[in-house]
Amino acid sequence: MQSGFPAMRRAFASAVATAVLALAFPAAAQDGAALLGRAADAARTLNYTGTIAYQRAAGVETARLIHVNDGGEEFEKLYNLDGPAREVIRSNGEVRCYYPDAKVVRVEPRTFRNAFPSLSPQQQSSLAQYYTVRKGGIGRVAGLEAQAWTFEPKDGLRYGHELWTDPTTGILLKARMINERGEVVEQIAFLDIVLGAKLGPEAAKPTWPVSPPDWQVRRPRTGKLVEADTGWVVAKLPPGYAKVSEGRLGGRGGKSDGAAQLVYSDGMVAVSVFIDQRGGPQRHVGRARQGGLNQFSVKQDDYVITALGEAPPDAVQAIATSVTRR
Amino acid sequence: MNEDISRLMDGELDDDGAVDRTLAGLRQDGAIATWMCYHVIGDTLRGDVAASTRLSRRLAAALADEPTVLAPQRRVDRPATWAWAMAASVAAVAVVGWTAVSLTDAPASTVALAREAASVRADSLRPQVIPAEYLLAHREMSPTTPIQGLGPIQRVSVTGDAALAR
Repeated sequence: MQSGFPAMRRAFASAVATAVLALAFPAAAQDGAALLGRAADAARTLNYTGTIAYQRAAGVETARLIHVNDGGEEFEKLYNLDGPAREVIRSNGEVRCYYPDAKVVRVEPRTFRNAFPSLSPQQQSSLAQYYTVRKGGIGRVAGLEAQAWTFEPKDGLRYGHELWTDPTTGILLKARMINERGEVVEQIAFLDIVLGAKLGPEAAKPTWPVSPPDWQVRRPRTGKLVEADTGWVVAKLPPGYAKVSEGRLGGRGGKSDGAAQLVYSDGMVAVSVFIDQRGGPQRHVGRARQGGLNQFSVKQDDYVITALGEAPPDAVQAIATSVTRR
Repeated sequence: MNEDISRLMDGELDDDGAVDRTLAGLRQDGAIATWMCYHVIGDTLRGDVAASTRLSRRLAAALADEPTVLAPQRRVDRPATWAWAMAASVAAVAVVGWTAVSLTDAPASTVALAREAASVRADSLRPQVIPAEYLLAHREMSPTTPIQGLGPIQRVSVTGDAALAR
């Protein structure tokens, strides 16, 4: 794993050199954390509408996004522009996913916003220690001038990241994850965006404010993470990753007897470890991947242990295979 | 036979007799091609794209002989729902795509592949889908989530929607 280190740096450096970032220079360590914090604030507090492209090996998918902050309360509507119609509404502390062809509404008791509004001092320290942050040149994304940034990994245990932000508001316009061969494993970008529009909550209303009577409303088997000591530990944690959370996913009837979840972060990404009884959602062992997300599952006694995160396959596998009882 | 090879690779052949019979069967014509083919599929599923020219020819031959090889019959513990079937078919298309890429971009690494094929690995060959419950629970904790006005649901809704609607 360590042997991948020089190759990764070379590949990443060459990828960067051929991009618009030829004039990149190292930024102060705290700039990385500040940049991420500013982007998170902008994504939460601004009104914006735009078209998004999400690209990975399987192809490109596009979606329309409307985000409204109405006096501190967030409303968001996202619907895809290709493939079967899908709509995602985020409001009032929950997320509703509409599947008109299947006549299903799935309700998630999550907001995907407040878990970690900013990086902890530990995460900021990892970020500075395990990535070289460079401020690049000014490029163009979605018709806007965009400030380029690179987060170059210092070892083979994490992907490289290229980010483009709006210099005025700090909002993220484009993000790329790059593997050890300098290839883009995942890319997400605005194709067009309108920032600061005057929008009210009605702009992010669902197409189906009341679910049609013949639709099914489904609620997930597992609920939110309830902090707890799980008795599990990753014995050989790869350098730079530190635990940020530990607990159990809520089971049926509000009981916190679901899978154990341990979350480790290096400041840029996270790897979650799920320890579930056999018969849980993960039925097979081995690797799986989806864009920049890698997963590795292994059986241990009556449990299936799964590590999942925006980290290279080897890092995720190393974590999954060293989970043990404390 | 193909079923046994697949189960052997998955570590699902429980009794020694079945393991011996399957290993003996690998000596028969065509069986080793299936074995290697399964490994290539497994590797491409895992993103380890590497295949020799010679193997590519054998793989092509195996594919011609065994049109069902990309979808080996599996025992399922419960009836497959339409959603599962949809997810599997999407993944299968991805596998075919990746296999095609590996055939055209094949570097010559016969030795590495031989070593690969000789070791029985527990990695699954099935089209793997990351469980939506894990994906969502993870996304809520990832630092990449809050910086993207679009992150988690966009990815889940498009890529894992079949599993979500289940």
